[in-house]
Amino acid sequence: MTLFTLALVAIGIWLQIPRSRNWPRWIGMTAVILGGIGQFLCLRIPESPLVNELLFWLFGGGALFFGVLMVTGRKPVYCALWFAMATLSTCCLFLQQSAPYLAAATIIVYAGAIVVTFVFVIMLAQQAGATAYDQRSRQPGLAVVAAFVLLGAILTVLNQSSSKLIAVTPPPASAPSSDVAAAEEADAPAESDKPAVEVANSLSHPRPGESLGTLHGTGRSLFGDYLYAVELAGTLLLIASVGAIVIAPRRGQGT
Amino acid sequence: MTGDIERYLAVAAGLFAIGAIGFLTRRNLILLFLSVELMMHGVGLTFVTFSRMHFTLEGQAMTVFSLTVAACEAGLALALILALFHISRSLDVELWSDLREPDLSIPISPSDLDPVTPPEEQEFPKLTPAGRAPVFPRKPVVIKTSGSMSRKV
Repeated sequence: MTLFTLALVAIGIWLQIPRSRNWPRWIGMTAVILGGIGQFLCLRIPESPLVNELLFWLFGGGALFFGVLMVTGRKPVYCALWFAMATLSTCCLFLQQSAPYLAAATIIVYAGAIVVTFVFVIMLAQQAGATAYDQRSRQPGLAVVAAFVLLGAILTVLNQSSSKLIAVTPPPASAPSSDVAAAEEADAPAESDKPAVEVANSLSHPRPGESLGTLHGTGRSLFGDYLYAVELAGTLLLIASVGAIVIAPRRGQGT
Repeated sequence: MTGDIERYLAVAAGLFAIGAIGFLTRRNLILLFLSVELMMHGVGLTFVTFSRMHFTLEGQAMTVFSLTVAACEAGLALALILALFHISRSLDVELWSDLREPDLSIPISPSDLDPVTPPEEQEFPKLTPAGRAPVFPRKPVVIKTSGSMSRKV
């Protein structure tokens, strides 16, 4: 069932990829939507609340659908807009997974900066009318087969290992486990001489009673465990901006 | 049979596969980089899902760094695309396939070299001009201030 719907989606995408003799658009789109609905029916959880199911269908399906539209689009500006929609859907999935800081940062960085820059470059560099390289593609059959063999393998492995993919229940607030005790000792400088249990990245675990992904916890993790990495990331941004200025084509003198 | 963790991982794998298709097939330089960003979305979703599964923040911190690298990559890539465009006046990635083996043929089929049909003309709405054009004073307005001082606005 899973592999059948995957094959349906693959055929739909293959029909929509731009080539010299185009199939009508609705055939591929119908195949993609039918296959996607079948695939999501395979991923259904009967006992979870209806709101969770609806949100997951909306945003997970939306991310994949807008991704397909972006990959098979023939106009680059529309592709950039579909990419922004796929980004928003992915950010809603982040929000559902208790990562609100990451969702906000992704919206700001991707939808606010990267997509706008892409649209600027499209306006600077796009030729008027239809261009040959947007209407043709390289080896669409081989690419679709390769990507969907990979996807089918991943989904099969996920299906077989679904008994191990269970979320860890958070430790109760009253009885701190060894991880939490180590985290508390790492915070207290007086008792940091001999911590009881050495836990890697102890500041990255939420405190007892704290939910995952709060701003407090994220900041503690980023500026505690990953302080040097944060400084390195800032340096990387600086170097990248200098490099972009150097690489960018400069105009003639006087303008 | 289907867990809550598993289906987010399935969506992430789907995003990665769709981005891979786009990267392998498209020929526009800008769309290549958009496809790479879609693949990075899939990887970030996987990190966040595993972060929730293990109830730590390490996966989210990793995604923040991958976000930083994506921002750097986008800036550099767009500068490179503009530089390449100034050389070749085209965004076709096939023009930059100099590094492949010399005995390989051009990786597009001959049927793809047919002329491209131009898009149909779109009708855009036109606004009828309404009212009269505003008249601005062409000379600076002199404002009398107290005393003999006067200043120009």
